[in-house]
Amino acid sequence: MKFNLFTYIAYILLFGLFLAPNVMAQEMNLRDYRMRFRFKTVKQPDQSRMLEASFIAANKKDRKDRLPVYGAEISFFNILEEEKVALGTTKTSKEGIARILLPKDQSYLRDEEGKVTLKAVFEGTDEMDMEEREITVKDVQLSVELSEKDSVQTVQVNAHTLDSLGVAIPLEEADVIISVQGMLSRMVMDEGTLEDGMYEYKMPIDLPGDMDGNMTVFATIEDHEDYGDVVQKKTVKWEVTNISNQENKNHLWSEVAPIWMYVVLTILLAGIWANFAYTISNLFKIKKEGQKLEQSL
Amino acid sequence: MDIALRKKELVKEFSPMMLKPGKWSKIWIAILLALILGGLVAFVVQVTQGQEVTGMRDNVVWGIYTINFIFFLCLSYSGAFASGVLHFFNTPWKNAVSRIVEIITVVSLIVGPIFIILCMARLDRLHYLFIYPRIQSPITWDVIAITTDLIGCLLYLYLTFIPDFAILRDNSEGLPKWRKKLYTSLAIGYRDTPSQRRRLHKITKIMSAMVIALAIITYSVLAWIFSLTLQPGWNSTIFAPYFIVAGLYSGVGVIIIAMYLIRKYFKLDHYIRKAHFLSAGVILLITALLYGYFTFSEYFARWFSHKTHDANLLDTLFNDYFWMFILANYIGILVPIAIVFFKKLRTIKTITFAAVIAVVGLWFNRYLIVVPTQETPYLPIQDTRPEFVHYSATWVEWALSFAGVAAFVLFFMLLMRLVPIIPMSGIIDYEKKGKARRKGLTQQQQP
Amino acid sequence: MKDDKTTPSATNRRKFLKMGLLSGATTVAGASLLANLASEEELKASGEKIRVLTPEGKMVEVDAESINNYPEAHITPEESRKGIPGRKFVMVIDLSKCKNARTCVENCQKAHHLDYNEEYMKILLLQDHEEADPYWFPKPCYHCDEPPCVTVCPTGATFKREDGIVLIDNERCIGCKFCVTSCPYSVRQFHWSHKPKFDDTSQPYSPETGVPGEVGTVMKCDFCPDMLRQGKLPHCVSGCPMGVIYFGDKNEDMVTNGEETVRFSELINDRGGYRYLEHLGTKPNVYYLPPVDRQFPLERGFDVDEEIIERYKDVPYVQDMKEKGKI
Repeated sequence: MKFNLFTYIAYILLFGLFLAPNVMAQEMNLRDYRMRFRFKTVKQPDQSRMLEASFIAANKKDRKDRLPVYGAEISFFNILEEEKVALGTTKTSKEGIARILLPKDQSYLRDEEGKVTLKAVFEGTDEMDMEEREITVKDVQLSVELSEKDSVQTVQVNAHTLDSLGVAIPLEEADVIISVQGMLSRMVMDEGTLEDGMYEYKMPIDLPGDMDGNMTVFATIEDHEDYGDVVQKKTVKWEVTNISNQENKNHLWSEVAPIWMYVVLTILLAGIWANFAYTISNLFKIKKEGQKLEQSL
Repeated sequence: MDIALRKKELVKEFSPMMLKPGKWSKIWIAILLALILGGLVAFVVQVTQGQEVTGMRDNVVWGIYTINFIFFLCLSYSGAFASGVLHFFNTPWKNAVSRIVEIITVVSLIVGPIFIILCMARLDRLHYLFIYPRIQSPITWDVIAITTDLIGCLLYLYLTFIPDFAILRDNSEGLPKWRKKLYTSLAIGYRDTPSQRRRLHKITKIMSAMVIALAIITYSVLAWIFSLTLQPGWNSTIFAPYFIVAGLYSGVGVIIIAMYLIRKYFKLDHYIRKAHFLSAGVILLITALLYGYFTFSEYFARWFSHKTHDANLLDTLFNDYFWMFILANYIGILVPIAIVFFKKLRTIKTITFAAVIAVVGLWFNRYLIVVPTQETPYLPIQDTRPEFVHYSATWVEWALSFAGVAAFVLFFMLLMRLVPIIPMSGIIDYEKKGKARRKGLTQQQQP
Repeated sequence: MKDDKTTPSATNRRKFLKMGLLSGATTVAGASLLANLASEEELKASGEKIRVLTPEGKMVEVDAESINNYPEAHITPEESRKGIPGRKFVMVIDLSKCKNARTCVENCQKAHHLDYNEEYMKILLLQDHEEADPYWFPKPCYHCDEPPCVTVCPTGATFKREDGIVLIDNERCIGCKFCVTSCPYSVRQFHWSHKPKFDDTSQPYSPETGVPGEVGTVMKCDFCPDMLRQGKLPHCVSGCPMGVIYFGDKNEDMVTNGEETVRFSELINDRGGYRYLEHLGTKPNVYYLPPVDRQFPLERGFDVDEEIIERYKDVPYVQDMKEKGKI
């Protein structure tokens, strides 16, 4: 019986191992790591708002050693003085990032200036301390327009906030970045400061758009103390494309060979095989003659 | 002269060497079979374990398989060339050597491609060459050229065999039954009537011209496999003619060696005579001079202009491969020239010795063309595991190489059992033309 | 132009799915749904591991998502011959920034399931002439516009696609190695023997990843088209800590090293970009920026395994350093 019990335990243990084959604990000392808990909010082009917390442990000695915290539960709140509204809870991804997206018609608690205070909280565990960050942002209306001025495409960025009465107040002293979307990344074209809620940038005329002749221009306000991150984009029909209309010629390296190769090869082979055929046909004639001789003998 | 009687006499004279294998012959066959067996073992090892068992690695991907491939094909090519020339111009003394040459042509054309197949790592996918052919690839040209050449050469060889098959069929008393049957069917009713004779002569002449053309095309294509790449040492405009001259050189060498061995072993001194060796020796001299000239031009231009990558290659050749370079390109050319150049030195033995040196030298010359170039690419070989840098052939490759040589000799011996090594029809033709040409080389001397 | 819509919209669909879930995430239930999604992905994940920290303070290794895993349909060998429509990929390597950190090599090896000794990306130590200092020279496949390797292939196992990428279909390769000898840059390598890793069929074979490998076939750098299809950078580019390698679409005139995005034409013209061995006429799609104003001393590159240093033993400079006892 004792033996049986032992094997059962062994089986259960083994089974447990199989259940979690890809999770292996490794030796580490938490004290060597500094926790980096960051929180930002981005107002997206479609007016929705993304809340993003990133949670990464960085080795104090080895700069390269960065461990994302995976599966940590992060709760997001909208707070105003004593009031606190839960916006959502999610777990960090393998990159250590927890994200939620708030729809554009989400109603927030605002103070008298119209500012919204958002908070991301990690409750902490036995091993890890609690972390929390708070940001206060004002809702910005950012718009991008592209128009042709003197046959140069000009990007016009407008930004304003709305006061409690719904009157637009142009943004002052906020930096804006103009960039265009590429296949793999966004290319920064210009950085400037909004004046009276406006900024203008002349696009280079030779920059090609995508293969359909479209160009997506982004205007972003990044990490602003009053407005957080705000992104706006606009896609326009761009006349410049760079796709060389290469004729589908037959190359040495293409699937189909240059025509002359087929011609030469055919002539060569036909010539040679004609001779072979002629030779063989003569052999048959010799054979026929031989058969006739045999019959006459 | 009674032709029928003469035929009988000839059959009687040649049938011992076709029928009864002597003691030595049996021992030879046993040795050859053992070598081939060794090659088969190596082949199985290579197929099951992959080409890891060879000395080929990422930098040198073509080793002695490729070298053997070029070597055997060049034998075939030069054999075809020589035999075509002999037939086409109806050379007076052709009869004694023409069959040796023809057999060399066909046998090496069968053995050669085996080596390029060994060099391919996926034998199970060989048929892809025909399912997904790309006409731009020199390998495709090679496949087409070699198969066409092989068919042409077999056809040509058969044409030259027909009159002898007929003689053997007509004089088959005392031959085993299967041989009688075989000869009857292979002779396809050839009775040597004037019209049959004319017809056969006509197509043999056409095919002899065809075989020369095919040989030149095939061997040029083979040279292009190297010279159409961008590699220093390969990308040379003279490679195709250079390969053709080199092929002739080694081919003549192998023909001389075969003549010597056959003459000695079958005691055919009265057919294969010193005059044959002298003529072959002169051809060896001419081809050696040509080959030496091409070799010199090739390396001299590289050395004189010394572009960086050419200079690197020459550096490798003169350092890592110093002795091989001396053997292949100095001894392998100058010694045969020296031997054959002086009339006094020309004996059957010395000419054969010169031929052996020529053949060995040429094999190493091929090695120097194939391997060092791959060890000296445009970009220096760095950031590679050290054992991947240099090439040295393993036992598997050597075993298969020797098996290839053994197969060559064995096939040769087997074909010699099928038909006399000296064409009987040729002897009769010659005698029919009268005994006016007393000095004729194939003239029969009654023992 | 009909095809080109399938790819972006396919990725968009996935994004849309996630967005939809996320916008519903104001409730805790929604969030847990997301967590479920994550764990499902975990089950499907490949054998790649990354290290993460759990809230319990333990460091664990988990399967990394989407390394060589297609987000959408499997790219069959036939499909992979077409290429990504409207694109023309180029790489620019800034030699002044390379210090032989070898993360590009290692990342590439991890992604393509290569052994320690197999590298698609090789780092050479070149010296242009006696007076010049040597420099580190990363060498991927150049994906030439006149590729000699493609020309000589007898079966079409290696091919050039519309987007400029030269790939290998190892289900069609017969192992003649002609392409290896015809490449003037010694880029191609060979699977000389069968390896246990080839038996791992958890991921269906695609020429776009070259995984799993097959004995007796060739292999080489592939510009990671599987990553490009996901809008991500090739592994060598994203891995480089120095931002040495820029990658992008020439048609867009943009290249990025993951940190900054610049115009390809400006980068090449302002910095004197060139292609290696231009005179061979192969028209590579990999450009180099000359090693001027170097950011690191050359010696930094010798901060690697002893075995790796040994691989440069034939370079005169290394022999010199060794004599002086500096390495």
